[in-house]
Parts: sequence; C-alpha cells; structure tokens
Amino acid sequence: MINIKELERRWYKYKAKNVILFFVLLLLVAALVYGGLYLYRYFTAIEHETITLPQKSENMIQAHGTIIPKETVENNQSDLNIAPPVEDNSDEMILSPTIPIVDMDSEKANDRERKRQATAQSQKKLIKAKSSATLTRQELDVIHGRDLKHEKKVIQFETNTQNYFEVMEQKFAQNKNPREALLLAKAYYDQGDYNSAEQWALKANQLDSKIDESWLVFAQSKVMLGKNQEAINILSSYYKSTKSPKAKALLEKIRTKEN
Amino acid sequence: MMSKYSDIKNLFIDSVDSKNYIDLESLSFNYNVLEDSLDKPLKMILLFGRPGTGKSMTLNKLYQNLKDKREIHYFDAPILSEKEFLKSIYESISGKKIPQNMRVNFDGLLRFTQQLKGKREIIFLLDECQLYSEALMEKIRLLSDTRVVKFVITLHKTENEDVIAKEHFKTRIWEVIELKNASEEELEIYVQKKLLQKHFVDVANLIQAKHIKFIHTHTLGNFRETNKFLYTVFSIYEYYELNRPEKIPKGRFSRKILEMAAIKLGYIHD
Repeated sequence: MINIKELERRWYKYKAKNVILFFVLLLLVAALVYGGLYLYRYFTAIEHETITLPQKSENMIQAHGTIIPKETVENNQSDLNIAPPVEDNSDEMILSPTIPIVDMDSEKANDRERKRQATAQSQKKLIKAKSSATLTRQELDVIHGRDLKHEKKVIQFETNTQNYFEVMEQKFAQNKNPREALLLAKAYYDQGDYNSAEQWALKANQLDSKIDESWLVFAQSKVMLGKNQEAINILSSYYKSTKSPKAKALLEKIRTKEN
Repeated sequence: MMSKYSDIKNLFIDSVDSKNYIDLESLSFNYNVLEDSLDKPLKMILLFGRPGTGKSMTLNKLYQNLKDKREIHYFDAPILSEKEFLKSIYESISGKKIPQNMRVNFDGLLRFTQQLKGKREIIFLLDECQLYSEALMEKIRLLSDTRVVKFVITLHKTENEDVIAKEHFKTRIWEVIELKNASEEELEIYVQKKLLQKHFVDVANLIQAKHIKFIHTHTLGNFRETNKFLYTVFSIYEYYELNRPEKIPKGRFSRKILEMAAIKLGYIHD
C-alpha cells in the first residue's frame, strides 16, 4: 500500500526544489547576458579609443586633391557599407554651406579688438616679468616707445563684392590663415565656382585639418561637381575619426539623395 | 467500494500470459522471425535482450500458438538440477513418467534421441537460460546435435552472458533474435492498446504523447518498468478516487500523479 501523504510531501519538496532551480538558472542566464553585454560595451569602447585620430592634412590630401589614402577609404567603405560609386549628374542637389559668409566689417572690428587685447597682454607680460628697477635700457626704451624701429605693415582692405576675392586672397597670401582660405572657399561655393571652392577648402584643410567647415565645404563642392562617391568617402572617413554631427548630417543627406 | 482504477491498475501487473500480449510492430517482426526459424534446419535459436524486453512473453506466445500444431514443450522456469532437467526432457520426449527413485542417464538419453532421427522433430522452449550451469548448457548443445531436438532459449543480455553464449554456441548453426526496449511511439501504442483492450477508452484518451514521453524518459521503453510505473500511477489514482476524489483533475491526465509515481519508484529524487 502506498503512503500517499508521505508521497505528497515528497512531491511538494521535489517541486519546490525545481522552482528554486529554475530561478537560480534564470538568475544565472540573466547574469551571463548582463556580463556579456557589459564586456561587449567595454571592448567596443576600447575599440573606439584605438581608432586613429584625424591624420595630418599632408598625409590625407594628395596634391591632385583626392583625399585619404586608398586603403583607408576602402576600409571605411566596408565599415559604413557604402554603395559602389554611381555616376550622379543630377542638378537638383543643392547643399547650402553650413556657415554663412562672415560680414567683413565685423571681422575687421574683431581683428582690431584682438590686436588690442594682444598688445595689452604683451605689455602686461613685460611689466610682470621684471620690476622697473631691474629693467635694461633697451627694455625701458621699449616701454616708453623710444627708438622703436618697427616696420608698419598696413594692408589696405577695401572690400566690396567685386574685389572681395582679391582682397581675401591677398590677405591669405600674407598670413596663411586657414580661416581666410575657408571664407574664400565658402564665397566661391556661393558664387557657384565649385572648383575654386574645392581648392580653397583643400588649402584650409591643409593648414588645419580640424576645422569642420573645411571638410564640409570640400565635400559639398565635390557633390556639386558630381563626385558624390568621393564626397561620401571623404565624409565617412572624417566622421569615423571625429564623430562630427555636422559631417554625419551631411553624409546622410548625400546618401539620401543618392538613393 | 471498487474503483475503476483498480481494474486499470491490474492491467499493468507484470505477467507472461499470452492473453496480455500486445502486438507491436517490432515484437511482431521478431515473433515472425522466430516462428520461421523453427522451420529451418537450425539446432538452436537464441532469443536475447535486456530484462523486461518481452522475451518470456514472446516464448509463451510461441508455445500457445504452436502447441496444437507441433511437438513443442515449454520450460517456463529454469530446472537447475541436472538430474531433474534430463528427467523432464526424457519424460517430454517419451511421454512416460520416471519413478522418483530413478534417474536418466545422459548417454542413454542421447542414444534414445538419435533413434528418433528422421521420425520426429521436438522443440523445447527454455526460458532464463542464463541460470543454467555450463555443464548443463553443454548437454543441451549435445542434444541439439542429434537434430531431433531443437532448442529455443532465452538469455538476458549482459556482457558475461554474451561471452557464455559465444563460448557454448559459436560452432552451432543458430538464429539470434535480439529484443529491444520500445521506442516512444511503440510505448504509446502499447499503453493505448492495453487500455483499449479492456475498453478504458476515456483514460486512454487522456494519456497524451507528453505523458508517454515522461514515462519513456524514466523507463527507457522497458515493458516491465513501464508496467511497474503505470501500476503505481493507477494505484495513486485509485487512492484518490476512493479517498480524495477532488484531487483527480477533470479532463486531463495528472502530471502530478505521474511525478509522484516517479518519486515512489526512485526515478526522480525529492
């Protein structure tokens, strides 16, 4: 005769053991999933950190104007799943520059202010460097403005829409400021001279490859010249190394247009 | 007060009664091979398999089917004494009773058997032959050499018995039939047929493939183990029906009772 009550007691014990086992396994699975996710994120973060930062412009930009070594571009294409180059002769694409043309008057005013601040700063530094008692004769002369033989370099900028490009190019020739090159690139872009815009953006980029706008104007000019795939490659590479939101936005815009 | 589960429970009492034989495809195939082998000029036929695979049941069914057609004798329990064994063989062949104070001389039995060559063909069915001594097995072998007596023997399949079988019979022409445990599908047919044979249609309908799977997992399709399992299951059902009927679920077979039976038989541990 089977002792049913005893058997029931054993059955409840067995079920309780199963339920506990189930929850333990559930916790184990959850811990494994969480651990896996954590490790994945950890290694992904390391991978991002080891990605090469933007190369110096001379390494990336070749003399004939195509940007990025072929190898890098190929890698980026595979990473970003870029479609094979397609000839795009569409005239419909209009990409406006990200930054509008800067008002030259305010630029001048800003330049004057910067100079004034720089002079004040340098004088402040001189005074701080030594007390007047220990200054040399030459130093005192400098302070009092005696026997100063500086050549005054005055550049006359007479700006209007006609001579704007000449003035800016002259200015760039003197100070080799990447910003001047970028302003010229944007101005040429606005004028519809995309070849010149591309060249000036390239110059700006060669001087300082970290300026977002130089990459964007360069890519936009490429698009306007019908070189969409080149523009995608350039922006992909730039975005991969800088994560610039502007580059991403433009990249998506070009791709959308491509599709 | 009787419960219907008492009758169902009794269906699964382990027995070799040929009335309880359930015709399954694999068993049926092996049975036909066995019956055909009796017509071949074989000296011995070996039926072997793990305990509970249906060897005794098959042997019994063979006896029941052929007892009226052929000269066949069935030793369902092993006769361990050599004296008794030879006496039983002689009595079966001659149809004469040997007095208690007399014994059968093996050489005399051998000569007596040889005289019957071409006149008679006698079949002996010997169950549980793994219990016979090696000396007795040798005598069985010599008797079978007369080609008057044909033996169908059953052996439990274990490594040692396999060796014994090889040693004793390797030079003899014989048929080897191996019986195996039932597959899940066969076990389902087995259980269903058992229940339907006695018209327990409602219970048969409640038992589904998942329940058979559970049973098969623990019994490995062994008929004896399955009978024991289901006997326990229906004993629990019987108890509940008589004492706490609310514990019997309506319209489905109780997984809880299956698990309780498995705990009771030590298949699963609490």
